[in-house]
Amino acid sequence: MSPYRAHLLAILLLAISLTATGAPLDEPLKPLPAAPQQNPLRVELGRQLFNEPRLSVNGSLSCASCHRLETGGADNKPFSIGFNGQPVAMNTPSVFNATLNFRQFWNGRADTLETQVHEVVQSPSEMGSNWEHVVQTLATDPTYKTAFANAYPDGVTMGNVQNALASYERTLLSANSRFDQYLLGNTDILTLDEKYGYLRFKDYGCISCHQGVNIGGNMFQKFGVMGDYFQARGNLTESDLGRYLVTKDEEDRNVFKVPSLRNVAVTAPYFHDASAKTLEEAVDVMFKYQLGRVPSADDKALIILFLKTLTGEWEGKPL
Amino acid sequence: MKMSRRRSMALLSFVALALASILLFLYLKSSSDQTSTYTDSRDLIGRMKQLNAQWETEILKARITIYHNYDPLVTPLTEMTELWERFDSMESGHGRNDAAMWKTSHDAYLAAIQEKTRLVEQFKSHNAVLRNSLAFLPTAEDDIQQPLAELVDGDKLQLQNIATDTYDLLLSSLEFAQVTSDDRAADILVGLNKLGVNKTRLPEPFHEPIDILSNHIALILREQPIVNRLLDNIEAVPVAERLDDITGLLNKDQQQADAVYQRYHLYMLVFSTLLVLVLVYLAIRLMRSFTEINRVNEALQTANEELEIRVEERTQELKDTQSELLDTARQAGMAEIATNVLHNVGNVLNSVNISADLVTRKLRSSKALGLSKAMQLINEHPTDLGSFLTEDAKGKLLPGYLNQLVDAIALEQQGMTDELAQLTKSVDHIKDIVATQQSYAGANSLMEPLHISELLEDALRMNSGALTRHHVTVVKEYSEVPRVMGDKHRLLLILINLISNAKYAMSDLSNRPRQMTLGVKIVDDATLQVSVKDDGEGIPEENMTRIFAHGFTTRKEGHGFGLHSCALAAIEMNGHLTAHSDGPGKGAQFTLQIPLKTVAGDA
Repeated sequence: MSPYRAHLLAILLLAISLTATGAPLDEPLKPLPAAPQQNPLRVELGRQLFNEPRLSVNGSLSCASCHRLETGGADNKPFSIGFNGQPVAMNTPSVFNATLNFRQFWNGRADTLETQVHEVVQSPSEMGSNWEHVVQTLATDPTYKTAFANAYPDGVTMGNVQNALASYERTLLSANSRFDQYLLGNTDILTLDEKYGYLRFKDYGCISCHQGVNIGGNMFQKFGVMGDYFQARGNLTESDLGRYLVTKDEEDRNVFKVPSLRNVAVTAPYFHDASAKTLEEAVDVMFKYQLGRVPSADDKALIILFLKTLTGEWEGKPL
Repeated sequence: MKMSRRRSMALLSFVALALASILLFLYLKSSSDQTSTYTDSRDLIGRMKQLNAQWETEILKARITIYHNYDPLVTPLTEMTELWERFDSMESGHGRNDAAMWKTSHDAYLAAIQEKTRLVEQFKSHNAVLRNSLAFLPTAEDDIQQPLAELVDGDKLQLQNIATDTYDLLLSSLEFAQVTSDDRAADILVGLNKLGVNKTRLPEPFHEPIDILSNHIALILREQPIVNRLLDNIEAVPVAERLDDITGLLNKDQQQADAVYQRYHLYMLVFSTLLVLVLVYLAIRLMRSFTEINRVNEALQTANEELEIRVEERTQELKDTQSELLDTARQAGMAEIATNVLHNVGNVLNSVNISADLVTRKLRSSKALGLSKAMQLINEHPTDLGSFLTEDAKGKLLPGYLNQLVDAIALEQQGMTDELAQLTKSVDHIKDIVATQQSYAGANSLMEPLHISELLEDALRMNSGALTRHHVTVVKEYSEVPRVMGDKHRLLLILINLISNAKYAMSDLSNRPRQMTLGVKIVDDATLQVSVKDDGEGIPEENMTRIFAHGFTTRKEGHGFGLHSCALAAIEMNGHLTAHSDGPGKGAQFTLQIPLKTVAGDA
């Protein structure tokens, strides 16, 4: 046996022993997948467009204005400020892992990231622009013109702008959270309390809705299953109707997309109405109106400890 | 011819193009990519059906699991949407959407999937909360029973009843989850009411757990029928049927396409057969043409060979003709020689004739006739001859007469002897000419020592009669020349001819004395030069080159032979004969040059 082969065998044995100790756990929560293989030219073009204020009608807002990657993929305002200086109707969700959501927007009116881009650019309260204007603006910029010509056979078009942005967003995954490492088999990464927190999370039924790869984001749910949240909150707005605005189905009144809990510790305030300023408040609301249960203070603290393990990294730095 | 050829070429190209187009058309028709599209479409539909089934399985699984991951209820739809988009773009690429039936089933599928998606979303929401409550129910009941058991004060029986009621309610609720019926729903409602009543009988700390339990049971009571209904509805959504409809349409289309394909296949077969027949026909034609070409080639070869034979024959004929011609030429040469000889002989015969004429004339006027007269006188006086001679007047003259007669006859005899000697010489010359002619055949020449001046004299003598008649004065400019070795007859022939020509050249000369100059000299100690010069009519420039040619003459009765034979003779003696004239009327000079061969003994 040559030294080279012996070396190889040693590596193989090491790998087997590693996988033996680190077999992925079979849990209702799933680890974050890797970013898909995409044309790097389109991704880079999408990155530029993501930071491009000219997508808004008056050049005041880019995607990154509200979806700040350094602050968890959203801003820390209850309601982001639109191009016209007026706050928008709902709290801005994080752009991180948005690609893993089964629908986009709180009320799930967009099936794809492309559609989401399409709506935001044209939204009269967000960017206030129109595609004709955007395409014209980008087409007259020689840098964009070249970049588009390189990335797409048909150059600057509405579809290509949306596709480039969506391509970039598909790469925005907050990988390597401690809980992901735990799911991948590194069970020592969580403290005992955090593991208890995960148990409580499951026991109290949070996991009924917040499950899957994005820990949420794969179903709609009525806000106020076990009680009328909106009556208690008061001050009803149109956006509180949720999915009803999309389907006009009475069934969908106050129904929203279950949000992802990834990076939840860094994306306050919470809920579509930004009513919860802290995780504690949010967890309380969830227990009261969704689970219809009263947790012990310890259990709540444990759950919050667990939720904090869901914070991932971006560009090697924790969010 | 060229025009029709071009037209036939154009026609041929057109026919070839038409055949190729038909073949291409049939090929395209019979090998359209619909089959591959069909297979792909069938594959996509099949995969969509599979995903649909998988989706339904996941839904059923979600119905019974407590902690469920709902991602598997999302991914099949996502994948189905993706597959449908591929299918749609592929089929719309073939213009399917134009067909009304296609569009109907297309829209029917979309409506079905949309409805199913809506129902599944609702199912997910309702099922999640239902499962949660069902899972929580035993804990919620425990949260009541445990403190209830620990409760020391109070009506034991009543507490027992409350515990039993709560437990029954839990059981009814759990059973309701399994077998949902209106009876059980009514039971649960009764149980809930009982729980509400019981709550009032229990102390304050029990109110919250009881509210929680009743809330969750109420939720189960509310949600379980919804979930059941949703499941029934989901099951009723004919997504698979719609997909089967599309498959059916695809099959039908494919059958039609197959029929068309087979039809065009048949057409193509027929067309191919036709083409093959045409090819076979052309091949036969080609083979025939080939045979024809071979045949023509052979014929050509044969003709060629014949031609060669004929050429050979002709060549042979030509050769024969040539040899005949050569013979003829030889005969002509012989004739020329004969002419030459005869000419020369003629020249000499002239001299012979003159000599004979002279002798005849002399004999006719001979004084010998006087002798017969004298003898007559004597015969008249046979008896008295003596007296007659002495007495008679006549007789007395007779002796004197006889004496005179003797002298005259002697003179006459002398003249005739000279003439006869000349005649003999001429005859000898003729003999020599004939001998020379014979020497041509043997090509030998007789070299003998001779004096060139004597030879010249001989030549002059042979022409003397004519020269005298024409009053030609001969000037002799002879240098001192030793005896030389020479061909006497050839030299004589040349000289006689040149002298004769000079004489003729001056025959028309009347205004001045006719003078001929003969010259002999030695040039450079190596060449003997003999020249004959006249001052006669001369030679025109244009005739200079032709005068030595055979058959050229300026005289009416001439043969054009003399100078030609002279030149030949000169060449035969390794010499040459040249002519010079200053022009017409200025005389001419002929010069013979031969190598000088002096007689050895004389030197």
